[in-house]
Amino acid sequence: MIQYAAIILIVFGLYGLLSNRNIIKMIISLNIIEIGLNIFIISVGFVYDGIAPILTSTNSSSALLYVDPLPQALVLTAIVIGVGTTALGLALAKKIYSKYGTFELDEMGDNE
Amino acid sequence: MSSLAVLLIAIPLIAAFVSILSKKVAPYLLLIASLINVILLFYFVPDGIVVIGGYDLPYGINLFVDTFSRTGLGVVNVLFLVIVLLNIVEFKKYSSVLLVALAGLNGLLLTGDLFNLFVFLEISGIAAYLITTSNHKPLATFRYLIIGAVGSSLYLFGLIIFYGMFGTLNLMDMVSFIQANNVDPSALVLPAMLMFIGLGVEAKLLPFNSWVKGVLKDSNTLSGPMIAAVYAATISFVFGRIINNLLTLAFVGNLLIVVLVLLAVGIFIAEAMAFASTKVREILLYSSIAQASIVILLFVNGIVLWAVYLIIANALSKTVMFLVINKATKDHGDDESDSLQGVFSKNILVGITFSVATLSVMGLPLFMGFVVKLNYLTELAVGAQWALLAVILISSIIEGIYFVRMLIKLWYPEKNEVTVKFDLGFKVVFVAIALILLALGTYTAPLNTLDNSIDTIAEVIDNG
Repeated sequence: MIQYAAIILIVFGLYGLLSNRNIIKMIISLNIIEIGLNIFIISVGFVYDGIAPILTSTNSSSALLYVDPLPQALVLTAIVIGVGTTALGLALAKKIYSKYGTFELDEMGDNE
Repeated sequence: MSSLAVLLIAIPLIAAFVSILSKKVAPYLLLIASLINVILLFYFVPDGIVVIGGYDLPYGINLFVDTFSRTGLGVVNVLFLVIVLLNIVEFKKYSSVLLVALAGLNGLLLTGDLFNLFVFLEISGIAAYLITTSNHKPLATFRYLIIGAVGSSLYLFGLIIFYGMFGTLNLMDMVSFIQANNVDPSALVLPAMLMFIGLGVEAKLLPFNSWVKGVLKDSNTLSGPMIAAVYAATISFVFGRIINNLLTLAFVGNLLIVVLVLLAVGIFIAEAMAFASTKVREILLYSSIAQASIVILLFVNGIVLWAVYLIIANALSKTVMFLVINKATKDHGDDESDSLQGVFSKNILVGITFSVATLSVMGLPLFMGFVVKLNYLTELAVGAQWALLAVILISSIIEGIYFVRMLIKLWYPEKNEVTVKFDLGFKVVFVAIALILLALGTYTAPLNTLDNSIDTIAEVIDNG
């Protein structure tokens, strides 16, 4: 079920990217895609009634049901990369604003 | 000794961190790291699988060095060093970015882990966005960033679906699992297409390449050859590896026809756009898009060796062509072919090397492009792919017309005199590349030493 929610978020993000002509809104749309994707990744490793994949003094048996830890590690990496891309996108947005005085693509005239 | 391949990624990455601390030493670090990488690659790094962190395969990340990745690394590292040497004075402040780019590109070519590949795709992607900021067209760079980020997200989406299906991220492990369990190809369609589209964005395949025009039509002597030659070659090698081993398992029946039609239409449209362009850089960038589609078309058809040689020939030719035109545009201020008319009448040596590179891309005899084109057309004919053969031949005619028209304009002066001064370094590089293209076009023995089994992943899987 949660995978449907993730896919809906990804589709929302794509719709936002295609329909928005504002640079900041485009960056937000990109982030929505990434969040949807991250939820999808986590959902792949989900196990019903599974516990956190950490060995502790009380949970030290390998016979216990753990959720898959790998997608969680992947999501951590994906989040970091997403932050990097967003930061760069915002830096470019600032540069674009100082050049054109607007965030709206339609108002920039010079279409490069 | 076999783990030395790690240094190809680690050295530029460490140098990138150090270079941030001191802007003065950054250019030297860039030169030293690029040079050490080339030396390591040609003299010290042996073939084999490098297991990272002591985690046995398929649990840990692995680097895979075979003839295929070694060829890719050789082309990319040497061209990278050459382009850096030519631009280091003018683009000093891009040293840290270039070091990150080198680490990312080497990682892409080496890794045998599909998630690790995504990470390197993003690292090299972010470096590429920063390299294109040197064009001073932030809107074009922003478009590249958005399209690139969506592309890599789609790749990751496909990859995670594969992980959910097979429980592994290791390319070899995944391929051997699919083969051993005779997985129905129709089950692979969705993730395979997502990965194809994701990598297609970076590989400049139509219709996912709307970023290319904005980035390359205003490129300079750094961003032009770096994106059109070095990055294009890397992505083609990586895409080839994945198509050849993983995606071909899904590309059967109707899906194969869809992919081939997509690529064939891409070739036609790109050639038509190049034909309709009057700006020299636009002609070159559309020609690059067409050539990238041909490379992927060959990989999809299993013609690995000649696809690899086509990547090499294109990377060499496009380096010369983009360097010449971007230098001429910088000095002259305009890249309209009418405005650059007669630019070679005063620069005969540069004109000859540019013509050699262009004629090689066209596939005329005496040059490397001809040998490559003849061989891949023969292989397509042997495989009875008549429709694809016709597409490539017709596109070659269109290509011939616009390239000859462009060469005539650039050689024969009319009214205004165009003066462009090329440094000795540029000339040496142009002559060296032209000689390589000429040598491999006339003496083809070195090209015949390898065969289609250059990509050894299938072999490794067979041997367990």
